[in-house]
Amino acid sequence: MFFYYRIIIIFWLVTVPALAAAAADNVCFDCHKKEAFSGKIVHEPLAKGQCSPCHNPHVAHFKGLLEKEGAELCYSCHTKQQESFKQGMVHQPVRSGNCLVCHEAHASDRNGLLKEQLSATCFTCHEKMPQKFKYTHSPFAQGQCYSCHRPHQSVYGQLLNDEPDRVCLSCHKYEDLLKGHVNYPEPPQGCLSCHNPHGSERKGMVRNVLHAPFAQGCKECHEQGGKRGSTQSCLRCHEAVAAGMLARHSHLTGKEENKCVACHSPHAGDEKNLLKGSQLHVCRSCHADTIARYEDKLYRHPEVKAGICTSCHEIHGSNKLAMLRGDGNAICTRCHETQGKFTHPVGEKVMDIRTGQMVTCISCHVAMGSDFKYELIYSGLKDLCIQCHKRY
Amino acid sequence: MKYLNTLLSLAVLTAVSIPVIVSTSLAAEPWTWRATLDGASSGQPMEMPTALHIDAERQRYYVVDSGGNRLLSFTREGGFLHTFTAEGKLQIPYDLVRDDADLIWVVEKGRNSLTSIDVKAKAVITHVLKDGERTLVPDRLEFRNGTFYVIDKATGEIALLGKDLVVKKWISCPECSTGIVDFKLTQDGIWALDQLDKKVIRFDGEGKVLKSFSVAQNVEFPVSLAIDSAGNVYVLDRHKAAIAVFDPQGGFKYAFLAKGWSRGELYFPIEIVFDPWGGLCVVEEGNGRVEVFGR
Repeated sequence: MFFYYRIIIIFWLVTVPALAAAAADNVCFDCHKKEAFSGKIVHEPLAKGQCSPCHNPHVAHFKGLLEKEGAELCYSCHTKQQESFKQGMVHQPVRSGNCLVCHEAHASDRNGLLKEQLSATCFTCHEKMPQKFKYTHSPFAQGQCYSCHRPHQSVYGQLLNDEPDRVCLSCHKYEDLLKGHVNYPEPPQGCLSCHNPHGSERKGMVRNVLHAPFAQGCKECHEQGGKRGSTQSCLRCHEAVAAGMLARHSHLTGKEENKCVACHSPHAGDEKNLLKGSQLHVCRSCHADTIARYEDKLYRHPEVKAGICTSCHEIHGSNKLAMLRGDGNAICTRCHETQGKFTHPVGEKVMDIRTGQMVTCISCHVAMGSDFKYELIYSGLKDLCIQCHKRY
Repeated sequence: MKYLNTLLSLAVLTAVSIPVIVSTSLAAEPWTWRATLDGASSGQPMEMPTALHIDAERQRYYVVDSGGNRLLSFTREGGFLHTFTAEGKLQIPYDLVRDDADLIWVVEKGRNSLTSIDVKAKAVITHVLKDGERTLVPDRLEFRNGTFYVIDKATGEIALLGKDLVVKKWISCPECSTGIVDFKLTQDGIWALDQLDKKVIRFDGEGKVLKSFSVAQNVEFPVSLAIDSAGNVYVLDRHKAAIAVFDPQGGFKYAFLAKGWSRGELYFPIEIVFDPWGGLCVVEEGNGRVEVFGR
């Protein structure tokens, strides 16, 4: 008999609090219209009538009476994702913990609680990407970004599902590719070297700008027998770049025989420099840590925001720190002319008492980004000044 | 008798624990600033120093002031001694060694040369290194037992050259997707650093890979490495402006130092070297100095 009593007591202990919580949550809908939280797909806690996993009914530190902020709140249930979303290349909103850039919190008519149709969600941020080309890749035209990309993170660049060529071969048969590349000096590989995976104005989605030697054939760079051109073969024409390669710091790096193809396509590109993607993408392929470090800073230089690294950095090689185009004054005063004349004393006659080095703009500013206004290194209220002015 | 047993137990416990406590406290002793080598005493601050060479016999530090196109020497205590400019002939010096015949060899980026300097004879001779048709782009440099070890920046491999400057052998890392950016010679081989793969590689004296380990979890942009007497690997992180320490098996131990401009802080550091007197020397390109840390 005692055994049955025990079962009943345990049953009540388990179910009563749950029922009480559900009942309490349902109270929310006395004021908040339930219809506003409906859709084809409803977030699981809400579908169960539970608001309290995310919201505190009485008081909370965060807007919307949320228990936690941003992704931290989501990760309190989506624990597996918290770990996996740190691996490899991480999509910027994920890294910033802004899940709601793409997802609805309560309900949506789309899978994954997406805010919009998949491609529309992507274009919300990737607004500069053309949505249509004369020749458009069919998955892109159909808004199937997931055919090639992962939304959260990937070990491959551009958040690809796999190595670029393998992504292509997941739909295109290699035998068909061979037929389309007859008399090529090498078996087809490195598809993105010639083709834009989204589309272009050329048939076969060949990128819009052709490298002049490529337009004339292959022999200019590929010796007989299909051997690839070396760095020297590029520098034969691009002489000005050679000087940069012998600077104190240069991008003459990597094991490839031809260093230039680390960043440039030797065949075709989307712009005149034949870069293998946007500047930010190309630079990120090696400097992912640097870009990630500054991406979430509150204050960033407009050129940094726009991803135009070459505004300040001499990309091939430079004798200046951080491969800048000039010293810490010259580089800034090209645009900030006034500050070059009327500002805190800078230049060769003004020495930083901490290091004995010349005071420059970058003694106080970090143009890549900072959490302090004007991209200052420390707070401009006091902390920055007392670095040198001890009696301030 | 009972008290005697207790006292004996306490004595044994104390005897056992004291060495443990002492060794633990010594091991945990933090690195602290010991000295700074800067250009102030020469009348001109250093501009982007890039390398340090230590002459244990003479008890001297030699610093490559790359932006100033000169070499500076300092005493073991950090006192400035001399400036050497090779009569204004140096063009972007980057690294240096002193060979067994007392010649100074300097990697000059500006002339893509391994330049020999005979101070007594006042002779400066440039040497563009070649291996067959290939022109080397010298970067980091070491010298031991009549052999020059030179990183060829164009390939990311280490070239071994005799004193005749003929390439005898290449050491490369087949498993690295990029190339070697720094290396240090030890008694039992060579430790090298692959920058973009964020990997430490250990070669034997013949250039065979013995082991490698990743430092990616703890380091952002590795630029230099050094090995202490216990075999621990110190990796200099240029962007974090810190040093991460790994045990000989590659296990992360700890990291220390931080970005800054004040004494004991780093800004765009470029090389680390252990001196024979227990100091860990950090060449700071950004702060124009070499800081020596000890414990």
